[in-house]
Amino acid sequence: MNGAARRMRHGGWRVNGAAVRAARGLALPVALLVLWQVWGTALHNVRMPVPTHVVTAAIDLVGSGELPLAILQSLSRVFMGFAVAAVIGVPLGLLMGSFASVERNVDPLVESFRPIAAIAILPLAILWLGTGTSAAVMIVAYAAFFPIVINTVAGAKGVNATLLRAAATMGLPRLRTIRTVVVPAALPAIGVGLRIAMGVAWTAIVAAELAVGAKAGGGGSGGIGQMMFVFYAYSIELNRIIVCMIAVGLVALVLDRLLRAAMRLSMPWTAS
Amino acid sequence: MSPIEPGAAAKLRLSHVGKKFQPGGAAPTIAVDDFTLDIAQGEFLVIVGPSGCGKTTVLNMLAGLDHPSEGSVALDGREITGPGPARGVMFQDYALFPWQTVRGNIGFGLKHGAAGNGLSSEARARRVQDCIDLVGLNGAEDKYPHQLSGGMRQRVALARLVANEPEVLLMDEPLAALDAQTRLILQDELLRIWGQDRPPHARRTAVFITHAIDEAVFLADRIAVMTTRPGRLKALIDVPLPRPRNDATRASSEFQGLSQHIWSLIRDEAYRATVT
Repeated sequence: MNGAARRMRHGGWRVNGAAVRAARGLALPVALLVLWQVWGTALHNVRMPVPTHVVTAAIDLVGSGELPLAILQSLSRVFMGFAVAAVIGVPLGLLMGSFASVERNVDPLVESFRPIAAIAILPLAILWLGTGTSAAVMIVAYAAFFPIVINTVAGAKGVNATLLRAAATMGLPRLRTIRTVVVPAALPAIGVGLRIAMGVAWTAIVAAELAVGAKAGGGGSGGIGQMMFVFYAYSIELNRIIVCMIAVGLVALVLDRLLRAAMRLSMPWTAS
Repeated sequence: MSPIEPGAAAKLRLSHVGKKFQPGGAAPTIAVDDFTLDIAQGEFLVIVGPSGCGKTTVLNMLAGLDHPSEGSVALDGREITGPGPARGVMFQDYALFPWQTVRGNIGFGLKHGAAGNGLSSEARARRVQDCIDLVGLNGAEDKYPHQLSGGMRQRVALARLVANEPEVLLMDEPLAALDAQTRLILQDELLRIWGQDRPPHARRTAVFITHAIDEAVFLADRIAVMTTRPGRLKALIDVPLPRPRNDATRASSEFQGLSQHIWSLIRDEAYRATVT
């Protein structure tokens, strides 16, 4: 056998190897889907969602524009709440991480609120702000605030002390040092906080919209959570609820990837 | 000629300076004990001594980054209470900002610190460019520190120090991490930047830490030899080698003789430092 043939054969093996690995990776998910389909069909129960019906429901919901609209409504609330949390959480975290006196005073407050789930402040949010967008934004902002502030504090405290000393010997005032040294040095940690917060914001928005939907009797102000509430409480369409769950997961995944890319672009010095 | 004129006021004055460190209730460590030294305007003072002798602590107190437990440290007769732009520091580990390019690092103090006050942005950019030329970093202006070799990072740190035009240059083993050739080249450049071609009154004041004796002799007007634990001033040695100094200086018998003399002074201490 000549060399070229051997290489081809070798190459063929490599392609087969990759295909085998891909097949192995897919085996379990596919098996579970098949099992779900067979078992769900065998139950003969309209309450039991099955994969084929989920796909049909997804096509319906996307085609009618209902799902994209609901996602956009939720997305805008997530962004608003996330922005509020970041605008408060990042500067507060920087101050807490840079000034021991600020941390001493603020940290007990932050830590005593942190165990209170976002959904637990919903009664207050609804009583103060009604069942519209503002209440949902408040819940999201509350939930997203903690990961942002805690990671920012850790990032600000972890700044290489020699860099702070170098800035001091060049006569930088303290606040200027925070902007020009602490912020860039803490950026990776702040980025982690923002990414965690984005995930938390989605869990909060779905919970908030579900609950606001309950209060508003399904008629409220839209969003993916309220849509799920309607499918749950009124039309009882479990396949559609599954579609909503998958949609939230996909949107959150895309947002996380976008945030990661944005962080990478904002830190060109870490690219190697 | 002694580098300190009789009656001339000291640029930097350390008076009976002591520094104790007491980490969390442990027995106090005396890092520096009863250290008294005047450093004249335009003088190049080098501090040598074995590892752990408190050299860095002395430098940090001059920088205002550490505070003496006893005695006082003064600049132009005024007590030093904190860091200030009149005293520039070059740190042992470079202390470059990883997120700034070479140009950004060198211009950092001009842009954000006190050194750039009253300068137009054109004037700042020109000074940054001058400093890049001075240390030979042309072509690397837009690189980040992690893309540079140790020698180039050291040049960036030196250029940043010079760009701020401090009256006093405080340098903590700035050449320690370099290979032998780069080190000799940067020693020459350091003397040029300090102002060895200018008359003494037009020079900056420099305090330089090293444990390389040949480096100390080559650079210094005076060498302060320190002892270990507690860090005390053991000897002050004038280095009367003529300036400007260059490779001929290194080859001279006076240079060799002085190096031998200083080595004999610190040999016992150095041996003790290696066995304890």
